[in-house]
Amino acid sequence: MQRTPSDETCIEKFKPDFHHAEYKTSVDVIGKHISGLLLIKYMPDRSTRIVFTNEMGLSFFDFGFLPDSGFIVYHIVQQMNKPALIKTLRRDFELIMFRNMDHTKSYNLGDSGLVYHAYPQTSGINYYITDDQCRELVKMQRSSNKKPIMEAVIYKGLPGDSPDSVSIRHLNFNFLISLKKIIPLAAQ
Amino acid sequence: MIKIITLVSFFIINIESKAQYVGFALLNHPESFKKSFAEATAATESIQADFSQEKTLIMLSEKMNSTGKFWYRKKDRLRMEYIRPYAYLMILNTGKIFIKEGQKENKISANSNKVFQQINRILIDCVSGNMLENPDFQSHVFESHDAFLIELRPLVKNLKEQYKNINIVIDKKDFTATAIEMYEFAGDKTIIRFQNKEINAQIPDSVFNIP
Repeated sequence: MQRTPSDETCIEKFKPDFHHAEYKTSVDVIGKHISGLLLIKYMPDRSTRIVFTNEMGLSFFDFGFLPDSGFIVYHIVQQMNKPALIKTLRRDFELIMFRNMDHTKSYNLGDSGLVYHAYPQTSGINYYITDDQCRELVKMQRSSNKKPIMEAVIYKGLPGDSPDSVSIRHLNFNFLISLKKIIPLAAQ
Repeated sequence: MIKIITLVSFFIINIESKAQYVGFALLNHPESFKKSFAEATAATESIQADFSQEKTLIMLSEKMNSTGKFWYRKKDRLRMEYIRPYAYLMILNTGKIFIKEGQKENKISANSNKVFQQINRILIDCVSGNMLENPDFQSHVFESHDAFLIELRPLVKNLKEQYKNINIVIDKKDFTATAIEMYEFAGDKTIIRFQNKEINAQIPDSVFNIP
């Protein structure tokens, strides 16, 4: 792949607006399936909260993503309270929310009509993959230093609105997260 | 000084306990309630109702709302069918749980998931009137002019980590649950309210069939 300087203006226009959205969510992990409602909300302190509950109101987790790239676990059920799982979820959500994007460290790689916009992380690299004309965000990818470990696709909603759906698929083990936007009851 | 602090603490604790549920007072001798409640629930064979559910996330100033239909038949059959914001079906039938979410169907043994089992037990106990006998909780009964409130404080680890207390509001007229309130530690809560209740209506087996 050919390495070229980064073009931050290309990626910024695809940044999703998760200011306030509720998603019907399903998680399939190693043969287990859970579902529920996931709320993403930008807070007045510029942090972003992500809360996942089941249909009956049982909270699975409540995460806070701080403006300075910090992260807080406000709540997590005991069954999910595993450092590796929390780290995975944190990095997955950071990728789809376009966080930790240091443009001074980024670069582009070209391959078969696609441009991989690379953003090195503390561990591994986040890629935002567009067509070579930067008309479309094809997918996002988290990679270790050796190989891709996760892919995500965002299906955009109306301009200025939160995405209609998001799919997160891990490549190294069976872990799939699907988000589908819920239209508020008042709007139905 | 110690006396003053003790006196102030006493008043604070006293004010807190009395102001715990607006309009309700603690029943120090709930035996009479328990007797009437046991008699009424013994005569309840089935309940069907509409329900609305409101989850409040206090720090986020958010409410998540759902609505659906509810069926219960003695002794341990329950069907909760969420209609909004999306279709979600849960059937409990003699220890087995069936869940349908969109096109996805899932059968699980209630015993395989402890928290799920406990929450389902709570729901059944709340509508069947067995919650006062549930050893997983310590209970207190409060009374207002038109309702009783049973406060359940979890005693077992899994539930204690999740819920501060679970309250069931009982209608004085027919001793059936009008609301189930689940309070979490951070101030978040989920309230399920039952409307259009029909007591002892004929509910066919097919309502609770697990395919």
